[in-house]
Amino acid sequence: MDVELHDIKVLEASGTSIILDNGAIEEISANFSKRAGVRVLVDGSWGFTSTDDINAIDDALRSAIGLATQAHEKAPCTSFPITLTGPTNIRHISKVKKDPSDVPVEEKVQLLKDIEQQMKLPQIVSTNVYYSESEVHMLYTNSEGSECESKLTRCGFGITAVAKDEDLQMGFDSRFGVCGYEIFDRYDALSLANDVATAAVQLLSAKASPGGHLPVILDPKLAGVFIHEALGHAAEADLVLEGSSILKEEMGRQIASELISVHDDPTLPEFGYYPFDDEGVSPTRTTIIRDGVLNHYLHSRETAARLGFPKSGNARAQGCGIPIVRMSNTFIEEGDTSFDEMVEDIQYGIYLIGSRGGQTNPGEGVFQFNAEKGHLIENGSLTMPLRNVSLSGNTLEILKNVVAVGNDLKYHSGLCGKNGQLIPVSDGAPHIKISSAMVGGSV
Amino acid sequence: MISQIESIVKCAEQAGADEVEIFYVDGKVISIDIERDEISLAEKSIIRGVGIRASVDGAVGFSSTNDFTKVEEVIEHAVKYATIKSQDVSDWGGFPSNGKYPKVDGVFDKKLHDIGLDSCIDYAVKMIDGAKSVERAMPTSGNFVCSSSTRTIYNSNGIMVRESGTIIEGSIDSVARDGDISTASEFDISRSLDIDFYQIGFNASDLANRSLNGIRIESGEVPVLLRPTAFAEIIGHALVPSLDADNVQKGRSALCGRLSTAIASEELDIIDNGLLAKGVGTAMMDDEGTPSQKIDIIVNGMLETFLYDCYTAGKDARKSTGNGVRRSYSSAPAVGIRNMTIQYPPTDIISETSHGILINSVIGAHTANPVSGDFSVEARNAFTIRDGSICEPIKSLMLSGNVFELLKNIDGAGFDVRAVGNIITPTVRVSNQQVVG
Repeated sequence: MDVELHDIKVLEASGTSIILDNGAIEEISANFSKRAGVRVLVDGSWGFTSTDDINAIDDALRSAIGLATQAHEKAPCTSFPITLTGPTNIRHISKVKKDPSDVPVEEKVQLLKDIEQQMKLPQIVSTNVYYSESEVHMLYTNSEGSECESKLTRCGFGITAVAKDEDLQMGFDSRFGVCGYEIFDRYDALSLANDVATAAVQLLSAKASPGGHLPVILDPKLAGVFIHEALGHAAEADLVLEGSSILKEEMGRQIASELISVHDDPTLPEFGYYPFDDEGVSPTRTTIIRDGVLNHYLHSRETAARLGFPKSGNARAQGCGIPIVRMSNTFIEEGDTSFDEMVEDIQYGIYLIGSRGGQTNPGEGVFQFNAEKGHLIENGSLTMPLRNVSLSGNTLEILKNVVAVGNDLKYHSGLCGKNGQLIPVSDGAPHIKISSAMVGGSV
Repeated sequence: MISQIESIVKCAEQAGADEVEIFYVDGKVISIDIERDEISLAEKSIIRGVGIRASVDGAVGFSSTNDFTKVEEVIEHAVKYATIKSQDVSDWGGFPSNGKYPKVDGVFDKKLHDIGLDSCIDYAVKMIDGAKSVERAMPTSGNFVCSSSTRTIYNSNGIMVRESGTIIEGSIDSVARDGDISTASEFDISRSLDIDFYQIGFNASDLANRSLNGIRIESGEVPVLLRPTAFAEIIGHALVPSLDADNVQKGRSALCGRLSTAIASEELDIIDNGLLAKGVGTAMMDDEGTPSQKIDIIVNGMLETFLYDCYTAGKDARKSTGNGVRRSYSSAPAVGIRNMTIQYPPTDIISETSHGILINSVIGAHTANPVSGDFSVEARNAFTIRDGSICEPIKSLMLSGNVFELLKNIDGAGFDVRAVGNIITPTVRVSNQQVVG
């Protein structure tokens, strides 16, 4: 039995997080870790061993070969012709403008307290400010002779405000990036805190959303979450292979309005950036949808080999976990309609703003998202503020119902979960207008 | 590691700590991944790491590592952070000191601790076989996980406790096709080797198959029956955060000021039981070394208590309820449930429902508003109920409301009590629930 491929990843990471809760320090903590992961492919079966002991890589390699061999002998997997492409050598040591480890903890705490002060509106009863920084040093080698090294610093913050009258409402926002402490130069955290608190207070007087099939406008944040959750996941080739993606039979077909083009691009300097993926593949921009036509899936080495496509460099892992097909920076290409033009011709509809998260079933193309807030649109203008506005329905129906794409693309950072692994990503979108979608709210 | 305890304590004291706590985890995990009807990956991981907390002038700092050459650095960080934090807070009630632990049953199975890869593959294959046994259905992906780990907790107040536990878990997703397409998933989890893996696979495929060719229904208010998986999802995301004493103390819970008032249907009880035999959240102590207990949260619809760890208990000058839970050695403890059990007098609930909707699971529960309890979810694998029988599948259905309204409107429960992770519940019936079709 032959070992077709093996790869070894060694990771050394450190991170600090600070939580300021109702103005007082709730937690300051640091973590230091080292870990190694070894993966082996034997006749189509993978074996994988991860360990905290980075001096025991030979043992881990033997263990992984043993696991793959046993798995192959016991329950053989259909073998696939993995493309061996020769060595890649990539070295990327991130240069940050302000190394967060040079900033004293006391200074960080003071900044968080200044941010918190901006939320002190009369009806705000509770606040939370969260800060985190991490530095990850990764060495990747494989049996093809690849040697890749990266060191990435990530920094960011999240802000929450709770407002109260008879009822409680919440505002939230966050900014994270592949960067250093200059994240606070890039974004005005103080004014963002004020916006979050103001939003929470405004929600107190907002009304519940009407339910039914209505024209809607999604703001860039919600449109970004939608494209990530509802389309992006369905475009992951492992789900396509499993038969749990609605895009399985759709390659080359018109699956969305002609106004829609969607890309995934790990090379953009956003939160989902990486210099090489967790299989040592140099990443490239992948156009998932071009002018409404499904153009490409996202691939790992295995899915690319099984489906006969070029590799896209979308195999990613949390820490030393097993690499799986993941997104990076996924975005809807900008169009040319202004937000005002979108609102103008809606007689009765809803403008959905922000996202409290969402979930999707890529096999059936059913999704559900909750906006943070919204506005009723009546006779071409925004009117009553709304709360608990949710959007659900069928992904392909929504994509076909897009009637305008905005000229105001924005990215938002987040963490994406799949198979128990969380990784940093960003979603990008301009405002988009949909002729009809199912919206609902609380009674 | 144990040999290092003394030097850790000395090091922390020299750095200025009043109290020290060491939380050490040592474990191994075997997992098998299923793709379509094949075993795609066999994985083994060894996990070993330590989290250290130090208190200084009534404030606690935390730091962690799995690199034992960095232990001294970690201790210094924990002490330094406690010192900075102590300028803000001084209501720390101390680490636990009562070292008397109850006996618990069924948390460690030596057969699981010693399990070989061959048996793990066999169980995964049984799930696949079960899923393939249903016409029109096929598995799409699945996972088998078996873990064995030991927690050791030491603190300078005299706690020195160690406990081992095992967990075995299988889950599978199936898809059914006959022109239409429908999916379903099923799982089971246990502390010992007593799971029927074939049945997990069969149930997933059977539900996917029965959900094919769903109808659309009208929006409106109807009686809704939430199966354990669906109800546990909503409870876990919309109710549990409001019971966390930390959220209550900080004004982020809709239950602030509502102790000893009726918040649910009169016949409803909710208990959190860290001692439940064989429970997924069962152990003799929580992750801070507080002895596990059985806590009455809601009795006859009345809210009796919130849930506390040492930190929140210190603030209210009371004792921890044994709800200090850590995600891993690298996280500080926070309030979490152990085995939350929902009790309501059971009846033959489906045959007693003249009309309504049965929902097996939901998606999007994590988007619930944890402060207000408002939720809006998409129902999965839902069916109509007419004259006491389960009828047509429903294609798409949005369910929205507020968890506290829902608790008040519960008017029935089934005999089908099931552990959905660490929430244990029967099917419950909610008298009038808003649905959007």
